[in-house]
Amino acid sequence: MYAQETLKASKASKVKSLAKPKIKLSPVEPYLYLVPSFIIFITFVFYPFINTIYVSMYTTDLRGRVKDFVGLQNFIDLFNSPAFYNSITITFKFVLMIAFPSVLIAFILALLANNKLKGNRIYETMFSLPMAIASAPATAFWSMAFNQTNGIINYVLGQEIQWLTNPDYALIAVSIVTVWLSIGFNFIFLTVGLRNIPTELIESVSIDGANYLQKFRYIYLPLISPQMFVVVFINVIGSFQAFGQIKLLTEGGPGDSTNVLVYSIYQEAFKYGRFEVACAQALVLFVIMLCVTLLQFKFEKKVVHYD
Amino acid sequence: MKKLASLLLLGITTLSMLTGCSSSADQTASATSTAVDLVFWHSMSGTAGTAIDELVEQFNNSQDEITVKAEYQGAYDDALTKLKSSALGNSGPDIMQLYDIGTRWMIDSGYALVLQDLADGYDFSSIEENILEYYIVEGQVHSMPFNTSTPVLYYNKTAFEQAGLDPESPPTSLEEILEYSELLTGDGKYGFSMQVYGWFFEQFLNKMQLDYVDQGNGRDDSATQVVFDNNDGARVVFQTWKDMIDSGYVVNYGQDGTAVIESFASGNIAMTVGTTASLPTVIAYVGDAFELGVGYYPSVNADDKGGISIGGGSLWAMDKGSDVKADAAFEFIKFMVEPQSQLIWSQATGYFCVNTETYKLPEMIDFLEANPLFAVAINQLQESNNEAGAVLGVFTEARDAFEENLEKIISNELSVDEAVERLTTTVNVAIKRYNASAN
Repeated sequence: MYAQETLKASKASKVKSLAKPKIKLSPVEPYLYLVPSFIIFITFVFYPFINTIYVSMYTTDLRGRVKDFVGLQNFIDLFNSPAFYNSITITFKFVLMIAFPSVLIAFILALLANNKLKGNRIYETMFSLPMAIASAPATAFWSMAFNQTNGIINYVLGQEIQWLTNPDYALIAVSIVTVWLSIGFNFIFLTVGLRNIPTELIESVSIDGANYLQKFRYIYLPLISPQMFVVVFINVIGSFQAFGQIKLLTEGGPGDSTNVLVYSIYQEAFKYGRFEVACAQALVLFVIMLCVTLLQFKFEKKVVHYD
Repeated sequence: MKKLASLLLLGITTLSMLTGCSSSADQTASATSTAVDLVFWHSMSGTAGTAIDELVEQFNNSQDEITVKAEYQGAYDDALTKLKSSALGNSGPDIMQLYDIGTRWMIDSGYALVLQDLADGYDFSSIEENILEYYIVEGQVHSMPFNTSTPVLYYNKTAFEQAGLDPESPPTSLEEILEYSELLTGDGKYGFSMQVYGWFFEQFLNKMQLDYVDQGNGRDDSATQVVFDNNDGARVVFQTWKDMIDSGYVVNYGQDGTAVIESFASGNIAMTVGTTASLPTVIAYVGDAFELGVGYYPSVNADDKGGISIGGGSLWAMDKGSDVKADAAFEFIKFMVEPQSQLIWSQATGYFCVNTETYKLPEMIDFLEANPLFAVAINQLQESNNEAGAVLGVFTEARDAFEENLEKIISNELSVDEAVERLTTTVNVAIKRYNASAN
């Protein structure tokens, strides 16, 4: 009897355990799941980052190996160099000249494409096309367009502007290319955002007699603000890191008028072989980008409408 | 438990995938023990790259002990970067082609062997003296000149005739070029344009017989500072350049050398300077549009007496810790400068024949008769007054600094004196840093 009882109980518990298996994790197991991604992160993110800090406090020899410890001397040299401040100013100018125009233009295009018209699809494809073009071939095409004597831009304008050789125009020219390159990506994000706005909302304000501007101000703008934030954020980060078009169009020149921080890092490390200076500059760029990112997230809470 | 084991396996597999690439490379190297396999890094693309492959194939077929594998590694700067990273794993090349201005760095870095030490009994006398002397530093031949060029003046003979100038006597100094330009300018066309390029500055100093740096222009010992500020060379070149552009007869296309050549070929400018290596390109661009002339590279002042120095690249035997490989590398280098090899090379690319014996080959004699423009450059080189040019570890940066400051003078951001001061400071700081890392 007693034995039967226990058997029953054990059976019940067995049934129970089958229905709801009790998971007992070994304390190491969760970490093991992380191993593959951790290995990749350590190799390609953490190790290079720590190594950058390490190299920035040393000098390097002609083969690029670390040599003598110099503490913060590389940073002191950097902050005493007028060329470095010039690079920082140009970087900020460059970011402002790209992040906002490219979002604005993409937004206008997205609003235009949002009107249900015939052949809409064709326009949408056209507007997002620059995204499919890598920066190198795009640059090749633009450098021909910018050519002072034979380029199409000067031909259309009827001018002889030295787009890439005059320091007053070079940064503008590089910005135009970068804006053009990022429009497609921004356009797709913003179009998706506009599509996700519930039609009921738009219909109901239309019935209330709202005109386009009012719809834009009270419906589109607030409801697209999350996408807008993401796009601005990605463009700001992206323009801090822009390199290909500068290397191929101007090589930081004429003079040093397009020598943004990323190009200057490349130049120090790979042209002049001064890896320690490049590492110090990379860390300064990291701090700048960190601050900008934090500021943006602070700003996000005020303007972005999540609903 | 089973799960744990499979997870561990996954971890191990990922690890071995990440490290796997490194172990497979060594196995191929040890496959053959009697023959020597050499890796040759070069920076020649396009037709020059094809010519290199052809020469390498000829060498491999000519004997069966050494097999050379040519690998294009991008422009010289890129190849240098790759060399630095490969040397940590000892996977770098056995022979390397490097540009003229990398000479000092290659010596100081210790990557390469001194060529003269390998050249036991080799007779350097057939190598063009004016070329070889560039690669003699501290009394020793460090590398073998291979692709050599010099700057020359390109001019439009048809435009000269139309302006009433003698098409057979091109200008020889910047002073004269400015006078000619006045006559050649008009109707949307300009007399002259010159790429903003640090190499031209070095050549103008050679023409004025002024040094670039101290220590015998860097040839007796490592340079410690520039001298172009004290000998007035930088100021004269900057001022002349600026005056020419301000005259309105000379146009500036910045650092873009291709734009200058295109503009010259389309007849927008009547004269320009450029390297001999672009002669085939210029000939192709110009076509039948006008009659092309080639003259000597101009001096700054009419009474300058100096010559020009060479540019281009040379072949280095790399230190891989193996005498067998080093000797094999020298065999290959020797082959690359043989008269017959240089004939193929020169005709395919427009570079000079570094071997004077090549000029005695009937093919070369015929070629020069059919293409007299090539002969001008050769004469200029052979008449050069032993201007070996400067040797400096930081030439890349020095050229960048020259170009940056010149552009700032042209756009009126800096006065000539300010630019000289800035250029001097930048290069001196770079030299100091370089010497500190070299020692």
